[in-house]
Amino acid sequence: MTQKHRLSSFDRTQGLGSAREGVRHWWMQRVTALALIPLTLWFAASLIAYIRDDYSVLILWLRNPFTSVAMVLLLTALFYHMALGLQVVVEDYVHNDRIKIPAVAVIHLASFALAAAGIVTTLRIAFGE
Amino acid sequence: MAQFTLPKNSKVTEGKTWAYPSGAHDVREYKIYRWNPDDGKNPRMDTYYVDCGDCGPMVLDALIWIKNNIDPTLTFRRSCREGVCGSCSMNIDGTNWLACTRFIADTAEPATIYPLNHLPVVKDLVPDLTHLYAQYALIEPWLKTDKAAPERERLQSPDQAEALNGEDGKGPAACILCFCCTSGCPSHWWNGNRFLGPAVLLQAWRWLADSRDDATGERLDNLEDPFRLYRCHTILNCTRTCPKGLNPGKAIASIKKMIAERRS
Amino acid sequence: MAGNDRPLSPDLQIYRPQLTSVLSITHRLTGIALSVGSLLLVGWLIAAAAGPSAYATLHGFLASWLGLLLLLGWTFSLFFHLCNGIRHLFWDAGYGFDLRTIYASGWAVVVISIGLTLVAWIISFGMRGPHP
Repeated sequence: MTQKHRLSSFDRTQGLGSAREGVRHWWMQRVTALALIPLTLWFAASLIAYIRDDYSVLILWLRNPFTSVAMVLLLTALFYHMALGLQVVVEDYVHNDRIKIPAVAVIHLASFALAAAGIVTTLRIAFGE
Repeated sequence: MAQFTLPKNSKVTEGKTWAYPSGAHDVREYKIYRWNPDDGKNPRMDTYYVDCGDCGPMVLDALIWIKNNIDPTLTFRRSCREGVCGSCSMNIDGTNWLACTRFIADTAEPATIYPLNHLPVVKDLVPDLTHLYAQYALIEPWLKTDKAAPERERLQSPDQAEALNGEDGKGPAACILCFCCTSGCPSHWWNGNRFLGPAVLLQAWRWLADSRDDATGERLDNLEDPFRLYRCHTILNCTRTCPKGLNPGKAIASIKKMIAERRS
Repeated sequence: MAGNDRPLSPDLQIYRPQLTSVLSITHRLTGIALSVGSLLLVGWLIAAAAGPSAYATLHGFLASWLGLLLLLGWTFSLFFHLCNGIRHLFWDAGYGFDLRTIYASGWAVVVISIGLTLVAWIISFGMRGPHP
């Protein structure tokens, strides 16, 4: 805190000027949230219904086309929403750019990879033997 | 990493206990944050006993009584003593309010008093507001228009005036810049160097909502920034703590809506 | 120079926890918990695709006391984050900002999310009896 006092308040406030962006992140967070309302309710209800059933019953449910589509939509919305949310958490608490910027990149890459893994697996179950 | 713990020189230690007013009947205990820039020590909490039968009903009255009768070095800002100037804003029993409009009867026993949160301390209960004023200047809080000045006032309809004054007098123009809200905002604690905070954003909205101002687009460009505006996560400590009953949280949501609407 | 050694006034250490800030940080914590849970979701799908024995292994872990505890945590996280998320969406649309509504909706979120968690678990256990 003592170091920051050497900069004038004006420097600390002006910085590099307004980035003139930010609404896209805000909007997509809300859009994915809206999508997640019905999708997570469907998923929670399905889990309650099927989680304790036999493997064969579960696979039948996962192979159902409606389930496959809903699962793909859920994974897409979920991992996008998660990446946006975790990015904000990192930006809030991590102020060292050398850690923050790679961390945000990793969050987006890992979320994409997880989404891809989930979607491919869902499709494999759907189209499998 | 955001600084969740106070720096070493800011950790609060135990202070001294001042004289008990003898013969008094209605005595209340006050624990008050003290820091003296001249003694090289860390801040401390001093304990005072206030004779509430001998002073007015507000926390500010108790502070003035202490200064007059017990300890003339106790330092705090004050002016109007009626909740309109914003000088005596401080943290009382854990939340930010004006000392002159907080009844002693509504405080805890002992009452604890700290300066506004996460700000450099000038002395005792006086925070350094320089950075907050600089953030206020950044939003250019004046009328921006190229239209020639009319012979008399720039007229507004009752609805247009209500956008600034509020239907109950609690619109954005009623803000007294006490900074209770900004200093109670966790996002401003962790990112206050770049996040403008609720008080400044409420005033930014005041100018966006002013029908006489013509620089709306330019103002929105200045605000649309992941840190200046979008560090607000609608925590709503601001609206909760405003001693004038204003609603910075709602104003910030209106700014975000305006920004979203102009690109759809 | 006098300005350089000014202490920073306390914040988190002394600010009174209120419904506003407590529900907000809970929203963040449940979001982070759900992010961790998303790994389980993908793992569960992969186990299902890998075959009955892989699935049985995962299922065995989930039925353990640790697994059940995690599932309970994730269930509550899901319902809380969902209900409070809807509250957030109303705010984003501009509704619900007066202090009374902030508090009423906040308490409603707490009650409903705990309620939904209990209902989900009761139905889940009730439907098939205790796990074999």
